Amino acid sequence: MVDLKALTDSVGELDEERVLNVLEDFVASSPSEEEAQKVVAACQSGMAIVGDLYEKGEYFVGDLIFAGELLTNAINTLKPVLGSSSSQKAGKIIIGTVAGDLHDIGKNIFKSMSEAAGFEVIDLGIDQPASAFVEKVKQVKPDIVGMSGVLTLALEAMKETVDALKEAGLRDSIKVIIGGNPVTKEACEQIGADAFTTNAAEGVKIIQGWVK
Amino acid sequence: MSDAKALQQERTEIFQDVYDNKIPKRVPINIAMGLEPTAQFGGIDMTSAQWKPSMVAEAADKLCQTVFSDVCVFSGSLRLPSFYQSVDSQSFVMGSNGFIQHPEVIGMDPEDYDYLIEKPYDCLLERVIPRQYKALDINDPIRMAINLTKSFTAYNNDMMELGMIRNKLVEKYGYYPGGPITAGGFTEAAFDFLADQLRSFRGVSMDVRRMRDKVKAACEALYPIVFKKGLPSSVSNYTHVFFPLHMPTFMREKDFAELWWPTFKRHLEEYASLGVHSRIFCEDNWDRYVDYLYELPTDTYLYFEYGTPKLIKEKLGKKFILSGFYPVGLLKTGTKQQVIDKAKEIIDIMAPGGKYIFTWDKNPLTINDINIDNLVALTDFVRDYAVYQNPGQKAGMEFNTEDYKIAPSKKLESKYFTTWDQFKSSHPEVSDLGEPKLQGLEERVFQFLMYLLL
Repeated sequence: MVDLKALTDSVGELDEERVLNVLEDFVASSPSEEEAQKVVAACQSGMAIVGDLYEKGEYFVGDLIFAGELLTNAINTLKPVLGSSSSQKAGKIIIGTVAGDLHDIGKNIFKSMSEAAGFEVIDLGIDQPASAFVEKVKQVKPDIVGMSGVLTLALEAMKETVDALKEAGLRDSIKVIIGGNPVTKEACEQIGADAFTTNAAEGVKIIQGWVK
Repeated sequence: MSDAKALQQERTEIFQDVYDNKIPKRVPINIAMGLEPTAQFGGIDMTSAQWKPSMVAEAADKLCQTVFSDVCVFSGSLRLPSFYQSVDSQSFVMGSNGFIQHPEVIGMDPEDYDYLIEKPYDCLLERVIPRQYKALDINDPIRMAINLTKSFTAYNNDMMELGMIRNKLVEKYGYYPGGPITAGGFTEAAFDFLADQLRSFRGVSMDVRRMRDKVKAACEALYPIVFKKGLPSSVSNYTHVFFPLHMPTFMREKDFAELWWPTFKRHLEEYASLGVHSRIFCEDNWDRYVDYLYELPTDTYLYFEYGTPKLIKEKLGKKFILSGFYPVGLLKTGTKQQVIDKAKEIIDIMAPGGKYIFTWDKNPLTINDINIDNLVALTDFVRDYAVYQNPGQKAGMEFNTEDYKIAPSKKLESKYFTTWDQFKSSHPEVSDLGEPKLQGLEERVFQFLMYLLL
């Protein structure tokens, strides 16, 4: 069996080569599904370390992107031994870049970190009108809606999206978080979101707090 | 002298004082808006205006009457659909709201590094541009030639149309005639150039860890190209080569110091050795890189988005021209009093001692991003409040070209760039009068092709 603590540390250190070597050896040893789930959990704990190091200012966005890629590669390596049973999800979140904005780097980082934290993430993509958020909320009934945008114009679109959720009578059943370069406390209040962040790691902590 | 001429003289004086290390009469105000918010301000459809820039002339005039600034309040546009859509751009795309922007795109694969390092310009033209501009397919050469000609012509025509609108307003309202954003030159740091349209933000973040040496070599290989791209045709103390800086704040210091900074520092120093000044937009928060910034040539114009004004002023205020920090978002969310209080707070930190130009942290992209009444209150306040009691006094450190001794970089070498000597050797009958004409065209085509990747 894998040294889970060492694996967690290797993910935290973003030592891609070591992580993948360990996982390949593990898969080759024909482990049980239960063992495989423990290895996944160890990788996820490594991602939490990455998030902490980001918050401390030791890692930066480029490192978070690399961490997301590393985790994806790790899970893909483990797929043959993971089986089909799905583990308990922490919560369900719909995310998307709001209308008019085509940027998704931050959204994608938040997505991979939320998934690593055990959330089921439904990603609408970029340049999504308010109606797309409303329809998806009706359909999948998430706990949380996350809206992303890099351009200043995204703030207006975020407000329109929250207003549309209100109009559809859906606002009270969900929490809303906004993220991206232009968001501020003042913008958050005006938009009517529950929280804002320019920091994906902090964003994950906020949504974890909501589903506790 | 007409009122406009007198105003223009005063405005020219305050800007030139800042660039000449003198305390001006008052802090110059550099507030300008692009084509898109200007169109919306005039109630004109944003997409239509981008296809026919002359449509905004009246709205731009009205904007100039409404908002006080020392530069023309209408700044024009860097990104228009005519020259992007005609070559089917993947890297500059119009969003559903009609605003052209740069999504995350990959123009170069990891396997292309070796060719980029060996023949950078050839690689850009043969591999990167055709990936980012689908209508410039090298396997369809005749259609490619036609599409490129259309795009190049559209670029020249539209830029001229915008320039004419702006020039008219500059004269009518007596603005500082110092150039719009690209007048002194426009380029990128070599690493940012590699990141933005070649490897993408995500791709380069991978490469930094997986193929560090190649990233470093690629920056070296791209250096002569980004150097040439920004090099202005004439040198002046009053123009600046513009660099938007993208990646540094998203990198670890170790990666920044080894991969991003060396070619950039050399770039600015090599310009300084020629007397050329640079204006750098420090996007995001540069507080942790303040000691690196201090190493840049004296009188580099540093424009900040976020960060700590006090720290920046204390560490960099004597050596550099500083600008930025005013949160544009407050113009949407704040009351008039909050808008003014914030301006006072920033000016009280940044203005003392001179070498400071007032502007916001970033330009609003659409008119809905701001409240125009708040903007009027803001710039009126700055004009009346940010006045110096000791104009004409020395402001800070002097720039001396002689302080920057740097071996000239390698010239661009490529079968796709013909120097005059090469042309002459294959056309010995040519008159020397052809040199400025043909070299001028060669340069313009180079400038345009690289603009497609900036």
